[in-house]
Amino acid sequence: MKRNIWKLLAVLASVTLFAAACGDSSSTSTENSDAPTTTAAPATTTTAAAATTTSTTEAPLPTLLIWADDTRAPVIQEFGDQFGADNGVNVEVQQVDFGSIRDQLGVAGPAGEGPDIIIGAHDWLGELATNGVVAPIDISGIADQFLPVAVNAMSYDGVTYGLPYSVENIALIRNVDLVPEPVATFAELEKIALDLKAAGTVDVPLAVQEAPGDPFHNYPMFTAAGGVVFGRNADGSYNPDDLGIDSEGGLAAGRKFSEWAKSGLISGDVNYDVMIESFSTGKAPFAITGPWATGSFADAGINYSVDPFPTVDGGEASPFVGVQGFMVSAFAQNPLLAETFVVDYMGTKDAQVKLYEAGGRPPAHLGAIEVASSDPDIQGFAAAGQNGAAMPAIPEMGAVWSAWTDAYSLIFSGEDSDAALKDAAAQIRDLIAQG
Amino acid sequence: MTQDEVMVRRRRPPRTGTIRAGALVRKLVLIALVNGFAMFAMQRELALGETGALVATLAATLAINGVYLSRRVVPLKYLVPGTIFMLLFIVYPVAYTVYISFTNYGTGNLLTKDQAIERLVANSLSTDADGARFAITPLDDGDGTMSLFMIAEDGSLLLGDESGLSPLAGSDITRDGNRVVSVDGRRALNLGQASQRQDELLDLVVPADFGEIRVQTLKQATVAAFGLSYDAASDEIVDISTGTRYRPREGRYTSDTGEVLTPGFRAVVGPDNYNRVWSNSAIRDPFIRVFAWNFAFALLSVALSMALGLGIALTLHRSGLKGVKFYRSLLIIPYAVPSFLSALVWQGMLNRNFGIINRMFHLDINWLLDPWWARFSVVLVNIWLGFPYMFLVCTGALQSIPSDLMEAAQIDGASASQRFRKVTWPLLLITLAPLLIASFAFNFNNFNTVFLLTGGGPPVPGSQTPAGATDILITYTFRLAFEGGRGQDFGFAAAISVMIFFVVATISAISFRRTKAFENLA
Repeated sequence: MKRNIWKLLAVLASVTLFAAACGDSSSTSTENSDAPTTTAAPATTTTAAAATTTSTTEAPLPTLLIWADDTRAPVIQEFGDQFGADNGVNVEVQQVDFGSIRDQLGVAGPAGEGPDIIIGAHDWLGELATNGVVAPIDISGIADQFLPVAVNAMSYDGVTYGLPYSVENIALIRNVDLVPEPVATFAELEKIALDLKAAGTVDVPLAVQEAPGDPFHNYPMFTAAGGVVFGRNADGSYNPDDLGIDSEGGLAAGRKFSEWAKSGLISGDVNYDVMIESFSTGKAPFAITGPWATGSFADAGINYSVDPFPTVDGGEASPFVGVQGFMVSAFAQNPLLAETFVVDYMGTKDAQVKLYEAGGRPPAHLGAIEVASSDPDIQGFAAAGQNGAAMPAIPEMGAVWSAWTDAYSLIFSGEDSDAALKDAAAQIRDLIAQG
Repeated sequence: MTQDEVMVRRRRPPRTGTIRAGALVRKLVLIALVNGFAMFAMQRELALGETGALVATLAATLAINGVYLSRRVVPLKYLVPGTIFMLLFIVYPVAYTVYISFTNYGTGNLLTKDQAIERLVANSLSTDADGARFAITPLDDGDGTMSLFMIAEDGSLLLGDESGLSPLAGSDITRDGNRVVSVDGRRALNLGQASQRQDELLDLVVPADFGEIRVQTLKQATVAAFGLSYDAASDEIVDISTGTRYRPREGRYTSDTGEVLTPGFRAVVGPDNYNRVWSNSAIRDPFIRVFAWNFAFALLSVALSMALGLGIALTLHRSGLKGVKFYRSLLIIPYAVPSFLSALVWQGMLNRNFGIINRMFHLDINWLLDPWWARFSVVLVNIWLGFPYMFLVCTGALQSIPSDLMEAAQIDGASASQRFRKVTWPLLLITLAPLLIASFAFNFNNFNTVFLLTGGGPPVPGSQTPAGATDILITYTFRLAFEGGRGQDFGFAAAISVMIFFVVATISAISFRRTKAFENLA
């Protein structure tokens, strides 16, 4: 009787150790960078111990972990493989949905499970830097090889946090078969578009995604009609205390949007899908969108041209410019290696040109821009963005986007534009004050 | 053998024998697996320094072993798994939410205090853009120390280590092609090798007459200096050049003049978040409107999907209809499709100009952007998502009603409606009442439908707050805590969540009491 119990206890003990050892060896294989050394101890008496001891005798290569979105991940992986082979490093590129990289870095980084490097947009920097989850990097040695607007966008509060790689803005896309000549003024555009709609040729006069209101895509028209989101400080940074959407110019722009909504030029029902669908089937003469959408138009066989924005009563459009680039996590396992990869490798002309060639994004590096100058789409977007301004990165933009969206939604529903913008501005000021 | 001995033998089944031994082995293997998993978890927790989780895991493991290896505590054997999972998945999240609601966790206060101090000091390392810059190769001195092979901008070759800079001759450097192999007998490290010794490199300071040279990347070094230092004795951060001292105050290092350093850190701030709910006009003003709509939304969703589900269940119940099984399968489809998908598909179908509903019926209804139509749409879609569940539950409940009761009622001359009201409905309610209350609680917080369909919109004209026409408490909270103000505010969101929890708990408790739903269980 007693012997049986001892036998069973022995079984219990060995199965326990075996299970622990299995768990242990799997943990060291997935995270070989910081394998806790104490864990090998209970496993030494079991058969699975061999797996753990072999991995400790030879120090594993450091692994550089990069988060990138689905379109850029393969390109970066290619670079990473080359970089890794040359320098005795593993480079692992994890595909993460672009929209969630920012939030996930804030969670995974401080928990010690985040990446070394992310691909990010410059307007995240306000939040990322305030949270302390990105590390400053020093690109002053190569900054003069990049577009100044891109380098400036990658700094927040006077500190540089990223290496720019692409510069994106929206432009007016014109269906050349429906509208052969570029339009110079918005009034001209409105007339052509509404005539085509009245004639039944098209469904959507101007395909700009709203559903129910989109401050980003409306910003070129908003600025052309006299509005601005925030005033600027002396050093060119946005001043959150100087909200511009209910300024004289902002209210005038709001009245323009009211007119366009009434004439049917712009509708709050158009969402991204309708925009893509209508322009790709020739059912929209104009679209306002960015480089991410032109691929669908080309695939659909539409003969399109990327044009600068027309003026509104002589006022010039100033679209938001979004800069994307590489940022180093403040909680990188290999901070020096990460900065080396970003600054010394991705910052070279060679890498930037290859990134452009593989990804097709409008480049930020002057050398890559030269290479890209033969592409009419890139040229068109660059021309449209010439007068653009970097999207504000200050954390206060969180309050701005939602209230501003509501204001557009109300304007498109026929409410008074002055009241809608004034209410939105009041809400934003309130939220900023309480934030 | 005495009578007593016989009784004892009967009460205790034989201890040995193949079946019991097999069961015991299975039990021990299962416990061993649990223990193995727990040991693995505890190793990780130890490595991560999570003492609380470590203690909890240890306690749970000991409890499991004690309960299942003992012969005395039979009832606990049934209760322990449920209790552990309840603690883990219900009590812990609720307790954690309550804890978070008393902290400032959110944008700007994401890190722990130690992490924030480390970041503040590390971020203050600044380089002079015009200062000296060197291309470097890290070297292994062979005696455990490291030094740097440096090339200055004028092309001069230098060796840098803790004692300073010393010039090198071209002949000191051994190359293999373009690659530096060794310098002055010291082995050159490739990036991988150098990265493994990053801590030494980060600590390496090469003094020079023009400043301190630090490693910036594994290929560059510059003159750089820290702007801040941490004084552990007084828990203050000191600005090295001005001498300004920053003390921790409510999650931020703050100077006497009120200047704060970012990032801040997580700190317990007491009832601040709850005070903000009372004092915040953005919440106080629209609260009654949002709450009333929230209540109506949950009530209508439950009542109408229940009515529809019950109606269909009654129709298909013993109606002798052909293809009942087919209809039943068909009706479960809305339940089987993920609600995320359904809500987005409905959003497309309800689009005013391009949606299939307006086009098919030649309507011009502003389904999603007119306040009342938007409310109607939200409830409609929620009914679509909710009725299959009610249908399933009602079908089951109907089948459990004994048919002789119905027959007896029929013989007594009760009409169809009388039979339903006096027999079916009261019997159904016994089964359904708890489910209806649970469904109400669920729909009260039905974030998905509202957020994906209308996002809380359309906005209310003239409103001083961002609360939209279809906003329920949880979507409005989400917008305030994550889209309004400055970034994300987990502490504030947790505070409102706790308050919603009390609202829903109160309503549920009252409902349970009123309907006496648990009477049969007592």
